[in-house]
Amino acid sequence: MALTDALPIETEVAKLIVQTLNLKIDPAQIQPEQPLFGEGLGLDSIDALELSLAISQSYGYQIRSDDPEIVATFASLRSLCKSIEKNRTK
Amino acid sequence: MSLQWLRQRERGSWIAIQFMVWVALRLGRPAARTLLYPICVYYAVFSGRARRAIRQFLHRVLGRRISWRDLFHHYHCFASTILDRFYLLAGQHHRFQVDVQGAELLTNYLNRGQGCILLGSHLGSFEIVRAIGMSRRDLEIKVLLYEENAPMIREVVRSLNPQVADTVLSVGAPDTMLQVKDCLDRGGQVGIMGDRLVQHHQTTLCKFFGTLARFPTGTMRLTSVLKAPVILFFGLYRGGNRYEVHFELFAEQVILDREHRDQQIQQWTQRYADRLEYYCRLAPDNWFNFYDFWSER
Repeated sequence: MALTDALPIETEVAKLIVQTLNLKIDPAQIQPEQPLFGEGLGLDSIDALELSLAISQSYGYQIRSDDPEIVATFASLRSLCKSIEKNRTK
Repeated sequence: MSLQWLRQRERGSWIAIQFMVWVALRLGRPAARTLLYPICVYYAVFSGRARRAIRQFLHRVLGRRISWRDLFHHYHCFASTILDRFYLLAGQHHRFQVDVQGAELLTNYLNRGQGCILLGSHLGSFEIVRAIGMSRRDLEIKVLLYEENAPMIREVVRSLNPQVADTVLSVGAPDTMLQVKDCLDRGGQVGIMGDRLVQHHQTTLCKFFGTLARFPTGTMRLTSVLKAPVILFFGLYRGGNRYEVHFELFAEQVILDREHRDQQIQQWTQRYADRLEYYCRLAPDNWFNFYDFWSER
C-alpha cells in the first residue's frame, strides 16, 4: 500500500529513520500506524537511541529517558511525528 | 542463562535460595561453602545439558580428557561466585581479597567526568566488579542485564540490596538505551555483557577457540552510538576468598562507517572474542555460559 494518507512530516521522518538506521527498505513502505518496535518494523532499543539522536539533530527535539510519554512516542511513525511537531525547535 | 540452574525448579529453588542466603549470612561463609559440596554434586549429576556444555568447553580450552573432578571443580567455582554475590550484595566486601589490575585506566576517565562503558562477559563474577564500581559513591553506575529479568534472582538481589537492584536496567524497553546514554552523559559507568545481549537474532560469526561462534552485534552497535570509551572487565574467581579483577582499554571509541558497517561490526566483535578467549585461558573454570556456545541456533 502506498503512503497516500501520510502527512509530509511522516514522509520526512520515514526517510530519516531509513537513513539513520541503514534499513534496506523504501521509506514509503513504513505505514504511519505500524508499530516501530517488535512485531512491526522490528526496531530495538539501540535503534531507538540512534533515532533519538538523529531527531535531536534534525529537529532540536531531545527525547528524554524520563519522559513518561516515551513508550507512546515510539509506538508508531505517526505518534513519533506528533511528538516531533509538538516539541521541535527547528 | 548462567543462572539457569538457580531458577530451574521454580518453587523448590526459591526455598533453596532463601535457605542458602540465610545460611550464608547467619552461619557464615565456611558453613555455607560446606553446603556447596552436596549442591555441586547434585547439579553435576542431574544437569545433563549444562554438564555436556562445560565438558565441551573445557575440552576445547584444555585439549585433554575432562574428568568428573574437572566438572565438579567447575560447578564449585560457579557456586562459589553465586554464594559470594550474597556477601557482596550484603556489603561484606571485607571478606574478599581482590587484586585489581588496570583500575587507574578507569579512574582517569571518570575523574575527568568522562562516562565509560564497561564491557564484560559471563566469564567470572560481575558482582565483584560492580562492588568495586559502587565503592565510588559519587558516581552513577548502571548495568544492562538480561538474566536479571528472572524474577526470582531479581527478588533476591532486591531483598539483599535495593540500591544495587536499582542499578539494573533491563534490556528491551524502547527507552533503555536512552537511560544508558543519560548515565554516560552524567559521567557515570554502564556495564554491559558482550557475549549475550538484547537481540539474539542479530548476530555475527567470530572465531572463538578456533571455531566460529555467534556473538551478538548489539554490543558494538550500542558502543558506536554511545561514542564513549569502552573498557573491558573480567572479575575472575581464584579460589578461597580471592578475586582478580582486570580492566583493559578496548577502544577510545568504537567507530563504524556506514558503508562497511556489517564488516566492521564483525571485526570489532572479533576483537572482543579474542580478548575473551585470552581471559578464558587464564581461568577456564570461570566460564559460566552453561549451554553450547558454538551451537548453530
